[in-house]
Amino acid sequence: MSGLVLALAVNGLVWGLIIALIALGLSIIFGLLDIINVAHGDFFMLGTVVVLVLATSTGSYWLALLLVPVIGLGVGLILERVIIRPTIRQASLTIVTTFGLSMMLQEGVRATYGAQPRRMAAPIEGTIPLFGIDYDVYRIFAAAFATLCLIAFFLFLTRTKLGTWIRAVRHDPETATALGVPVARICAITFGLGTAMALLGGAIAAPITTVEFRTGVDILPFCFMAVIIGGLGNLQGTVAAALLLAVMEGLVTSVTDPTIARIVSLGFMSVVLLVRPHGLFSGATR
Amino acid sequence: MAKGPPKISLPKSSAEKRERSGMTRRSFLEVALAGGAAASGAYISLARDMSAFAQASGPIVIGHHCELTGGFASWGYWHNKAALAATKVINESGGIAGRKLELATEDTESNPAAGARKLRALIQRNRASFITGSVHSGVMLASIPVATEMKTVYFSTGEATEATGERGTRYSFRTGTDTYGLAAAGAPWAYANLGKTWTIISPDYAWGHSHYKEHKAVIEKLGGKVYDPIYVPLDAKDLVPYLARIPQDTEVLFSVFFGALSIAFYTQAKSMGLEKTMRMYSVSGTIEAIAPADLKGAAEGVYIVENFPRMLKYKDDEFHKAYNKLIGTDDVHARETGSDKVNAKSHSWQSWENLFALKQAIEASGWKQKSDDKGAIEALEGLKMANSLGFAQGAKTLRKEDHSGMIDCYISRIENDEFHVKKKVSKEEMASMLPPRYDFSKQPL
Repeated sequence: MSGLVLALAVNGLVWGLIIALIALGLSIIFGLLDIINVAHGDFFMLGTVVVLVLATSTGSYWLALLLVPVIGLGVGLILERVIIRPTIRQASLTIVTTFGLSMMLQEGVRATYGAQPRRMAAPIEGTIPLFGIDYDVYRIFAAAFATLCLIAFFLFLTRTKLGTWIRAVRHDPETATALGVPVARICAITFGLGTAMALLGGAIAAPITTVEFRTGVDILPFCFMAVIIGGLGNLQGTVAAALLLAVMEGLVTSVTDPTIARIVSLGFMSVVLLVRPHGLFSGATR
Repeated sequence: MAKGPPKISLPKSSAEKRERSGMTRRSFLEVALAGGAAASGAYISLARDMSAFAQASGPIVIGHHCELTGGFASWGYWHNKAALAATKVINESGGIAGRKLELATEDTESNPAAGARKLRALIQRNRASFITGSVHSGVMLASIPVATEMKTVYFSTGEATEATGERGTRYSFRTGTDTYGLAAAGAPWAYANLGKTWTIISPDYAWGHSHYKEHKAVIEKLGGKVYDPIYVPLDAKDLVPYLARIPQDTEVLFSVFFGALSIAFYTQAKSMGLEKTMRMYSVSGTIEAIAPADLKGAAEGVYIVENFPRMLKYKDDEFHKAYNKLIGTDDVHARETGSDKVNAKSHSWQSWENLFALKQAIEASGWKQKSDDKGAIEALEGLKMANSLGFAQGAKTLRKEDHSGMIDCYISRIENDEFHVKKKVSKEEMASMLPPRYDFSKQPL
């Protein structure tokens, strides 16, 4: 029993790291642009599809994994210019816009790629014994890679000029403009980065889950829960909340069942909203 | 003294005017309303007559309640293709009782609420006289009360037993199998050949619950042990928390999933090496519209109960061959010609055959219009369908009492990415193992 508790806690941590990467993209888009991006889950779905297509055509998952965030950045920049910019900083309107974008992405993939769900073979095969269960080695790799990506993102945000500009625009766009920061360009880059992170999350998760046009629908609520509990726009808080939720669900699952675990997570979110409406880590909001 | 022109006395008031014409406002309204009512009555009567005439002589409209989008879209694609192809074949061979068959299709969006709404649209707006229906258990169970309320025959194509069980009605039919039938077809063989201790893992909705109930009954009756079911929410992505709960001494892991969850299940079960310690057993729904080759070995060795063998060679006749050709799939993997889509073959044949079953019932009963439904329903109850192009899955009977199809089933094993039949369960064996539990034929129409 204790083995199962530990195994599911570790599995929660592993899954939480992948989710944290996706939720972080959602959080920076909201934090900087006030966009409630309902299409973010579909960017994740796009990542799973693109990595499968690229891995099949090039024969290399690793090459595909490198290309996916670059493609994600490009897709994000284009969408920001065409769809997002006209509604920027109008949070309620962005829900409508991104909901439409979500439907377009889903139906676009269904129409071109097909409705058939597919499997992406893991590039690393094998299992290791983990507290009484045979655990997939690829998941360990996915968690490690997601951790590296998260560290790289925070280093980029704190140690580069572009990252400093992004933080400046998040903090005070007017002053940033006055100081010569190209705010419009920073907004576009931020949306592109958020999109790239969702696609990268999809590329990492594809060998674990399923490649299908609706894959993103179900991932979005968990990401939103992480963003809300972490504090809207609070990047470190989002990562911490994603990990907290995933580990908590893993632990509750080990003693009850996964459905009860999700109910507990939702209950936890409700309590956080009542007690700390700005999120668990609200001290750093914005 | 000359007389002046005669005096013309003009009415002094409107009341006088009305008196002169003999028409009061009240009487005018009475006449107008009476005239209007008479005209409307005549119009409605004429329209009804014309509609009845059109219905009795024009095309026969059959509705197709189909999952074109949403979670079941990969199945719905094939149901739609099968129904369109059957319509073409029927019309090219003279239609139904000499009348053209018109197929009206509505997308259920794989959503019970949308499905029920679209069913009303099919019956009311498209004037569909019969419906070949959904393969989504939730949609079909939400639709049967609507079809019954609107007194319209509805063919379910999904598997939840309730459609021809506790929630069935005189209007509800199914040519294919349900969970009751699948348990009878496969569970005794699997119990004898694969193992006696079972765990069932399935999605947390009607279809999965129904399979658990029916299989548990069969296995326990045979003396086996069935652990508590493991229900997986439909939105689950990570199945490890569920797979980790499977008891270690499980001999047979019976999985019931569809679409994306199937892929996630096979992928993650394989990655945890579950197939090394237990036999994997399932039903065709779990691998519908999916080629084992696309699972890259994850489904190798799994036993599947099929309703229509994926490989031609296991029902090798001219009708099966012609059916594959008309649907546009190959004879080994059921893959679509020119694409990598895979036919949802164990279910989509119903959308083809239901149209032929209705043709047979309409022609046998002399059905002309909606008021003749009683005859068509009575013809469907106990309908015998011969192995033919129209019934390419094979000969079958639509049992009178519970409106369920008695069909041949096949227990196959996935070997080298192909479905190899290990045992055929004939429709006669099925009928002997499946005593009817309901009798809808006694319900009034």
